[in-house]
Amino acid sequence: MDFANPMGGGARKVSSTRMIMMLTMISLIPFSIPTLILLFAGMLPSLVAALTDRSHARYAWICVGGMNFAGLAQPLLTLWFGHHEVSYAIHQVTNIGNMLMAYSAAAAGWLLYFTAPPIVMTVMLATSKRRAAALKSQMDKLEEEWGKEVASRRQMEEEAAAAGEIDL
Amino acid sequence: MPNDEKKGGGPVVTLRDRFLVFPTQPIPDLSLPSAMAYQAEDRRERDKSVFALVVKPGIPARIPVLRLLKGVDNPGLMHLVEWGVADWPPAGRKAMIMIYMRPLGGRVWDEDLPNFKRFDEVDAVNKLIKPAEAALKTLKSIGVVHRAIRPTNMFWATPEKDRVVLGDCASVPPAFEQPASLEPVESALAIPAGRGDGYYSNDIYCLGASLAVLLQGRNIAANSTDEGVIRHKMVLGSYSALCGEARLPLALVELLRGCLCDDANERWEVDAIDLWLNGRRLTPLVPRFEKRAIRSFPLSGKEFMTARELAIGIYQNWETALPQLGESKLELWMSRALDNKDKAAAIAGVMGAEVTAIDRRMVSDVTIAKICMLLDPTAPIRYKTVSVMIDGFRWLLPMAMANNGDVRTIAEALMRELPKAWMETREAYSPDNSVMESGFRTQKGHLDRGSIGSGLERVLYEMNESVPCLSPMLLDDYVVELRDLLPALNAYAKKKGENPGGTAIDRHIAAFIAARATFDVDRLITDLSSPDASRSVMTMINLLAMIQWRLGQSGMSHLSAWLANLAKPAIRTYHNREKRRALEEELPRIGREGNIVELSRLLDSADEKGADYRGFEEAKAQWMEAYRQAKAIVDGHEEIHEEASRTGQQIASLISITAAFITMTFLLLGMIF
Repeated sequence: MDFANPMGGGARKVSSTRMIMMLTMISLIPFSIPTLILLFAGMLPSLVAALTDRSHARYAWICVGGMNFAGLAQPLLTLWFGHHEVSYAIHQVTNIGNMLMAYSAAAAGWLLYFTAPPIVMTVMLATSKRRAAALKSQMDKLEEEWGKEVASRRQMEEEAAAAGEIDL
Repeated sequence: MPNDEKKGGGPVVTLRDRFLVFPTQPIPDLSLPSAMAYQAEDRRERDKSVFALVVKPGIPARIPVLRLLKGVDNPGLMHLVEWGVADWPPAGRKAMIMIYMRPLGGRVWDEDLPNFKRFDEVDAVNKLIKPAEAALKTLKSIGVVHRAIRPTNMFWATPEKDRVVLGDCASVPPAFEQPASLEPVESALAIPAGRGDGYYSNDIYCLGASLAVLLQGRNIAANSTDEGVIRHKMVLGSYSALCGEARLPLALVELLRGCLCDDANERWEVDAIDLWLNGRRLTPLVPRFEKRAIRSFPLSGKEFMTARELAIGIYQNWETALPQLGESKLELWMSRALDNKDKAAAIAGVMGAEVTAIDRRMVSDVTIAKICMLLDPTAPIRYKTVSVMIDGFRWLLPMAMANNGDVRTIAEALMRELPKAWMETREAYSPDNSVMESGFRTQKGHLDRGSIGSGLERVLYEMNESVPCLSPMLLDDYVVELRDLLPALNAYAKKKGENPGGTAIDRHIAAFIAARATFDVDRLITDLSSPDASRSVMTMINLLAMIQWRLGQSGMSHLSAWLANLAKPAIRTYHNREKRRALEEELPRIGREGNIVELSRLLDSADEKGADYRGFEEAKAQWMEAYRQAKAIVDGHEEIHEEASRTGQQIASLISITAAFITMTFLLLGMIF
């Protein structure tokens, strides 16, 4: 038993599983060459997105990839349910319409990726301002009923000193 | 109260709804230097001949003496029928008025009138000594020292002039109007207002001195200065000073020597006079003179042969005396010239403390005062310009305050514990001194505090129950008892109109209440000096409300309206604005009702205050929570960009994958079917 590294056995197990999976996939490659050709050519924007996306969550390639796949779905299904051969795959790849559809869909994915955050931000800002106004109104009402002393100046100053002054 | 009744063409003052006093009809023959006599009438018994003595403003009457003397019927005393405070139109203010039975034979002795027929032995015994002895016996039995026995304050009780009665003794501080020549040496050394209540022996001396004057038909000391008379008495004794070489009836010499004995302990008492009147003859007292030094002590160009005279000299040369006593000169004189080594040692101790002191100026004054006490233990306390008997502070202070006297020096003497030093120089223990020392210690505590309700004003009222409140607001009044205070303030508010402003309780009134209240007001008095204006105003109202409630006085509408106006800052002690508005609307109505208690309850209800406080604390918490939330929103505006970006990307990814899934599904279904 390796007392120094009790996880050592587990790590070896993971490595062997990955190895088995890779071997299985490699063994399947001869049977899926046409699909791989079509996917490689049609999903090039997704590949580029995956390589260029440096964000932590890596949403860009998911967004582009999803739309890209949706655009490539028709030729892919035609390949699977028609002639699953290399020549037919090349035929599909060389079809301008298929590639235009796939790449346009990828472009739509990019568009979606870039436009969604501003829209969401606009909505969030509108909601928070309305909430802040309601709170300000509540504070004003309390001050009207109990006077300015109700605003605990000392606490406010302590908080302001800790987190910087705010302007409501 | 002055009323519309007229007699002799002038206004009439009514005292206690019974006695009428006519301010336009003075009686100079019965007047005293500080109290003018006026015609008066008893409405119940019109045939009774009475007159009124009206005390001049600024002079405190002896209230406890008035209480004790009222109704006392004695052949040797002028009968006090009634006394009280009433409006006095000539002065435009209230004054103390005393109603006495009128002596019908006039004044016994008037210095201004020539051809006075001197008393012979028989007249002196029957017409003066017997009634005076009866009067002194009665006075002693009720615990009153007269302190105003002098020929000019003796009156013939009847038109036949067969009996002398002693005149008023309560209109002025004790011995205030006594000539120095007729007072015992120690009392004569004090300034008139500070002679103190004294003892029965003082009255005996004054009777003897008055008798000497009346027997001779002249006051042989009248032409001398006070200082000269006192020095004569010190050197040759009082009998010699007042009787000189006059040939007096031999029988009376014994009495005179007994009464005029300068040692108060050996002086005759009233019982001895009684025995003398009953024929028992005693050995005449031989005067004992103070020991004279074998060589004089020079001071400021004068030579002094006795310790008492030197004490006077030091007092008269206060500023320059101390350096002339230093370098052990005084100690050596005491031990060698007077052969009094004990006193010399005591003086050395006092002088030694002066040398080591840091504040030399202050200690110098105290040192001189102590040296004077050691040189003449029977003399008054002397300090700078003040010379006052130990029991005279209580009279000197109000007189000085009411007449813009040297109050500061009196306060200094008390602050520097000169009464305590005086007690320490006593040669024999006296229980009375212990009681007095405790009292002076308490007064020093009041002086040390100095806040409203303490200070010199508190000492003024604590030391003497006869002193009326000297507040500028009550100057036109004569407030001696607590029950007089609210009506006087009400009258002041009425005079000043709708809103007199200022404060209803100044330093004098606060001290007066603290000294006179028989219930606990200490906490309220302390709160009066609160720096918070609303708190102090509320305390003022609560204090006056407590007095009204305790004394059951109503109808103070002017005062309560004034207080309602002053109470506006107190409304601010409530936080709730709605409550404040309600109180502002309610105050004028309560003010008009004259009920200070209700005013206090309205403004300072514990329940209402508690509810207001709790509501305010809750509101504060709510405000703070809202503030925190709002602040969190504003602070979040910087982070919202990142969150919106992340959320937008997530949504875009979701839409993208969903689109792929839906497209795939529809295409598959299309191919299958």
